[in-house]
This record gives sequence, structure tokens and C-alpha cells, in this order.
Amino acid sequence: MNHPEMHLTTDEIELWSLGLLGAQRAFHLSDCSLCHDIAQRERKVILELVQLPRFAPAAGFADRVMSRVKVPTPSGDWQER
Amino acid sequence: MSAASDQQIVAWAKQGHEAAFRELVRRYERPVFSLLYRMVRDRALAEDLAQETFIKVLNGIKSYRPEFKFSSWIFKIANNAAIDHLRKKSLDTLSLDGSPSAETPEQMRATSLQLGDKGETPLDEVESRELGTAIERAIARLRPEYRSCIMLRHVEGYSYEEIAETLELPLGTVKTYIHRARNELRVYLEDRRE
Repeated sequence: MNHPEMHLTTDEIELWSLGLLGAQRAFHLSDCSLCHDIAQRERKVILELVQLPRFAPAAGFADRVMSRVKVPTPSGDWQER
Repeated sequence: MSAASDQQIVAWAKQGHEAAFRELVRRYERPVFSLLYRMVRDRALAEDLAQETFIKVLNGIKSYRPEFKFSSWIFKIANNAAIDHLRKKSLDTLSLDGSPSAETPEQMRATSLQLGDKGETPLDEVESRELGTAIERAIARLRPEYRSCIMLRHVEGYSYEEIAETLELPLGTVKTYIHRARNELRVYLEDRRE
């Protein structure tokens, strides 16, 4: 484990942004304005990224896919749909 | 069926249960489509690529090796489809700055892609309603390799190791791509705010 006085690594800043950094290392931010500024800026980007929505394809997507999928029969043979 | 693991669903699909195939589509249509949409930034094209991905995966379900995550398999095929398409068509969305591994201006020029002559700019696509926010515009400016890593990390919640396995990249490369991508996003977003 890194010493509390060492600057946070990029990975540690990401963990902190996600609320996953251990308390001992996170405490460093209260004493280090350099790491604090970097972490705050990084967190803004990460929070925007994790809130990105998932998009849905147009209705009927599954039917269009399944119309071109060959479902195997229980015997293991392929059955043309 | 919705509570079953992917591995169980795949096992049922291999036994010939159509409902299992549909469950796999239901589970992954949004994640796969979202990745592709952000990669190619064209809804119709993303849907075509998503269909190709699912058809390839589902018709090849017997070749699936259960020691790997099903999600990694399908994302790998989807990402390859997007990258192949971008390379073939040299779409406007592809970075103009050349290969991410290029280290000198000469290497960047040698690996850079040219805009097509359609009169469109990379920003045309990102002006669409769904992809028009500042963060989506910033993502659009990333190189495709960075973009897929960022999507898998922060939208899908993959670990670095899972991304490396999915995209068949060294772990260090994945970390570099993600860190560079976040730096580029931050700079772009901060420039817009100033």
C-alpha cells in the first residue's frame, strides 16, 4: 500500500472518483491541493461518463435478428426458421 | 429465465430453446447497440452492425467457450464489426490524428485518415439529438480505440482486465488508452466551459 503522503496514482484517483478508494489514501486529498485539484477534475469527467444512457435499437430488433438465426433442434441438428 | 446466468442461458440455447436466444438478445441489445452507436454515430448503421453481431453470435453459439464471459464475446464481435467498418469506409468519425501508437508527427501523418468528399464534417453526426450533449461530442472526437475502451469501462463497468481480454489488447495498452481518453475528454469539456 502506498504511503499516505505519496501523491495519488491515476488508478487511485479513478477509484476515489468511484467512491472505492480506501480511507487512508483518500485522506491524502485533504492535505494535498495538487492531488485534490486533479481528482476533482477527473471525477467530473468520470461522473459524466458513468451517467451516459444506453440507447435502444428500433422496435422489432429481436424479431429481425431471430428471423436470420438458425435455432438448433434438441437433437443437435440445425433447423431453418 | 431472466434470473439465470448468461452461461445457463447459452446452455439452453445450445439445446435448441428459441426463448433462450431471445433472452440473450433482450439482455444485450441495448449494450451492444449503444457501443456501436457511439462508435459509428449513425443509428441505422449501428443497428445493421448490431444485427450482424447478434446473428454471428447466435448462429455460432455452439462454438462459444463457457470459460469466457458471454458479454466479452459479444462485445468483442461488436467492436470488431465497428472498427472494420470504420477502417473500410474511412468514416468522418474516425480520428484524423492517426494511429494511437504513432509517436512522431511523421507517424501520425502516415497513419492518419482523410475526410471523405461528402461535404460532411465529423460534427454533423454528433449534432443529432441523442448524441448532441457535450460529453457525447467529446466522445465523438476520441479515436475509435479509445472510444470502445471508455465505453466498456464507464458505461458497461468492465474492469481493465476484462477490457483487455475483450478487445485482445495488452493490459497496459488498455490503461493508456483509457487514461489518455479521459484526459482528452477533460480538456475538451473544460475548454467548452471556459
